[in-house]
Amino acid sequence: MEDKLSLDKFKPFTETHLKIKKGVNARELIEGKLFICPAKVYELNDKGEAIVSFENCLECGTCRVVAPDEIEWEYPQGGYGVTLRFG
Amino acid sequence: MGAEDKFDLIVVGGGPAGLTAAYVAAKAGLQVIVLERGDFCGSKNMFGGIFFTNVLRQIMPDFEKDAPLERVIVRRRWSLMTPDGELAGEFRFKKFGEPPHNNGFTVLRSKFDKWFAGKVEEAGAMIITGAVVDDVILDGGRIKGVKARLEDGQIYGDMVILADGVNSLVAKKLQLHKELDPEDAIVSVKEVIALPEERIRDRFGLTGNEGMACEYFGASVKGALGSGYIYTNKDTISVGIGGTVKSLTERKLNPNDGLEYFKNHPVIAPLIRDGEQKEYSAHLLPDGGFDKMSELVTDNVMVAGDAAGLVDASLFHEGTNLAMESGRLAGEVAVEAKAKKDFSKASLSAYADRMSDSFVMKDLKKFRKLSRTLEHNPHLFEKYPRIMEEFVRDMFTVDGEPKNKKQARLLKRLLKEESIFGFIKTALAARRVII
Repeated sequence: MEDKLSLDKFKPFTETHLKIKKGVNARELIEGKLFICPAKVYELNDKGEAIVSFENCLECGTCRVVAPDEIEWEYPQGGYGVTLRFG
Repeated sequence: MGAEDKFDLIVVGGGPAGLTAAYVAAKAGLQVIVLERGDFCGSKNMFGGIFFTNVLRQIMPDFEKDAPLERVIVRRRWSLMTPDGELAGEFRFKKFGEPPHNNGFTVLRSKFDKWFAGKVEEAGAMIITGAVVDDVILDGGRIKGVKARLEDGQIYGDMVILADGVNSLVAKKLQLHKELDPEDAIVSVKEVIALPEERIRDRFGLTGNEGMACEYFGASVKGALGSGYIYTNKDTISVGIGGTVKSLTERKLNPNDGLEYFKNHPVIAPLIRDGEQKEYSAHLLPDGGFDKMSELVTDNVMVAGDAAGLVDASLFHEGTNLAMESGRLAGEVAVEAKAKKDFSKASLSAYADRMSDSFVMKDLKKFRKLSRTLEHNPHLFEKYPRIMEEFVRDMFTVDGEPKNKKQARLLKRLLKEESIFGFIKTALAARRVII
């Protein structure tokens, strides 16, 4: 996945545009739903905590559709995020 | 921007729907501003492949002169994939290679939408990039403009066209559209792979700027409810898969893993061999069809394109032309509303009426049951491709067994797997994919 994402042009913003809501069991959410993210933005670390690599986000919105109640999703700041050169 | 800079029309989103609306309205003399969240129009936009240009030709007859078109689609092929093979049908028409080229071209959206945005600016519209719109400005219950994440981001206008794509958060805030259900959202991932032009022509049997679209159903996404595709561009090919969010979630299948499965399938691997990966992208498509469409109109607001859910996900895979037609009609109605100085829902509902009379709604209506049909017949993606392969492969297997005997033996075996009633029911349901 890292190899594939390195093909793309990203301009990461300083703050995340993707948040897991407070009180949500991150392990259950990621293993049950957010594994579907095409860029594998949501992963668990060794301690079972959520790592949200928003800088790799392809901005498709799949996580928002699969978990509308568990995450907060907005567009990244204008001009930031992924810039497709082919599209 | 202050209230003195009031626009006639604010367009949110610089994709095919928004740009078309802006083009039509600006040509007619309206003061138009387009707000695009990307670095440039097209920088966030992705699709399979084919840009259908029937509406573009209507508003800009000479677009072929300088539009960044990749190849003319003269050949379309549909395949039913089995785990290690396929059964396929196709057309190839020389006529489609001649003007008006059947209005089907492969394009790369980052280049194409950027070009289109240039035409919209020439027509007199202002385009602001890097502008994310989060909300509308309400004043006395009426929408007076939008709030963009910019310095002085309050932008005022008589009308707003929401063409901000499949995620359209603003249309949802206005309750014109509910959140997409996982069964009504297709996530598509694709790679753009570079190959020398000559290699593309040879591999896909093409001459000159002829192009081909290949779509793969059945077991293309590891049995998930979805399909795969290859579109030939000039010196790249677009290879991707799409599947409903619901089906991929249920099967615990990450879309990229689905794409890798597809790329490594023995049918696909030789077509993309030795190519150089250039880009990986992901996008959602609204797949709810006619029954899950957004409200198209409210006071001061019209919704167009993917934001309204306008995609025909049947075998025809049309979307960009639906987006452009909705943009064209919304733009026309904006011009008329300006002349009447009436921006109420009643006045703008001419847009909804014209949409109903257009090919957009007629086609969406025709295929309204499609996604439910596929949802309720999951064996179209696993069991049936396998049965069909077995039947055809055995009939064509040359081993000295008489054909009549083969046929009887196969029918008997197949009927053990599925009743005649089941076959007929599924065949009738599957027919909705095409007719």
